[in-house]
Amino acid sequence: MSKKRKLTNRIDSLLEIPKEVYTDIPKITIVGFEETVIENYKSILEYEDYYIRINTNIGILNINGFNLKLEKMTNEHIRITGNIESCDLEKNID
Amino acid sequence: MAIAKIILSYILGYVRVTVEGYYIERFINICNNNKILMWNVKRDKGVKLYANIGIRDFKKIIQISKKTQCKTKVIRKRGLPFILNRYRKRKIFAVLLLILITLIIISSNYVWNIEIQVEDKSELLGIEEEVKNAGLIIGKKKTEIDAKEVINQIRLNRSDISWIGIEMKGTNVIIKIVKSEEAPTIINENDYTNIVASKNGVITKITAQNGTAKVAVGDIVQEKTVLIEGTMTGKYTDTRYVHSIGEVEAKVWHTKSKKIYYNEEKEQKTGKEEKKYKIKINNFEINFNKTLSKFKIYDTIYEEKKIRIFSNLYLPISIIKTTNQEKEINKKTYTKEEAKQLGIEELRKELEEEIDDPEKIVEEIVNTKEEKDYIEVNLTYEVIENIGTEEKIEF
Repeated sequence: MSKKRKLTNRIDSLLEIPKEVYTDIPKITIVGFEETVIENYKSILEYEDYYIRINTNIGILNINGFNLKLEKMTNEHIRITGNIESCDLEKNID
Repeated sequence: MAIAKIILSYILGYVRVTVEGYYIERFINICNNNKILMWNVKRDKGVKLYANIGIRDFKKIIQISKKTQCKTKVIRKRGLPFILNRYRKRKIFAVLLLILITLIIISSNYVWNIEIQVEDKSELLGIEEEVKNAGLIIGKKKTEIDAKEVINQIRLNRSDISWIGIEMKGTNVIIKIVKSEEAPTIINENDYTNIVASKNGVITKITAQNGTAKVAVGDIVQEKTVLIEGTMTGKYTDTRYVHSIGEVEAKVWHTKSKKIYYNEEKEQKTGKEEKKYKIKINNFEINFNKTLSKFKIYDTIYEEKKIRIFSNLYLPISIIKTTNQEKEINKKTYTKEEAKQLGIEELRKELEEEIDDPEKIVEEIVNTKEEKDYIEVNLTYEVIENIGTEEKIEF
């Protein structure tokens, strides 16, 4: 199983396909303090006006701020707008 | 891109929903797993959530909210499906709208207004009849009108038209006409000419630069008598013809007479008006007011306005506005002196319009003739004018 995966990984890296497409690793884009886009997320753990906690495959993303809005939500990505104060990513410990 | 999305969501219809409950995060996650699209999600301070959801997903959301023990409430309904639903019960309205649209489409195929524009705003007598005979009638189908043939037919029948253009704009047909003018006879400088009197008068001054003068100062001249002849006789040469040049001034009389009655009845406007409207559909008229006027003596002014939808889509309906202006009869009596003065003043005004240069008026002669109920005033102006005009010598 792991051997197979390693092989596909190697092929994909040879073809220069972006990592977030063929794995479950999330891609987090932060545009200033107004907007963040998270791709490959799992689920929303907590959602308040001032605090968002998003579960991903490698860990949990915490976003602090004010007037946070989930402007667009689809299965693949989520877009958060508002006054973002801080972002941090906690690593999952297996 | 963003605008397209807003329009698309508006066409498909969406609702703004509030969700209340403790497990709102679960609610959002379940929605995501069921591939329900939500946008503009906002968390209120307490346990409330605002979100926009498409119409089709709304039923699914109710089930999910039951599962997660949330309350859902619709705040706003937006989009075309809701508007259409509102008018579903009004069948007659929809039918009438359809009929109206079809009527407009059908009626736009016909000619409802013919406008004739003559250049320089001069008038051509009987051109409307000519247009009618050529086949351009109000109420005819636009496709049946052959503009070229109409133009040819009108031009065949009339000689005083140099150009016609027919333009069809909507239900409006504009016929543009350029009138042909008779070309003025141009006299060449090399042609042999006489100078001829254009008016009756007494010669006061005559100078012949070229040619021989035929009249002397003080002569009474009738119209069209030769003043300067285009011939020259030299001492050693025979008579030869020339292009005569010269200046002839003469006293010309302008006379006008007028009868002024001592007892005069004058009509005057009182300033009171009444307006009446009626609708005319082809030849059928509908009055909105009483047709009889409340005034005893009045002038009536008719105004017809054709109704049009757009700038060029005329309908066969017109509104006729009639305004009645009330008048009064004022009786005035003049003494002999007053009547005479009034007559002179009125005649002066009329005569001064006739004369080009009022500075050249030499004398003013007033004659009066008294009768039983009126006085006849006769005013004559003596004016010095240039009366010479060139005329070609015909051999």
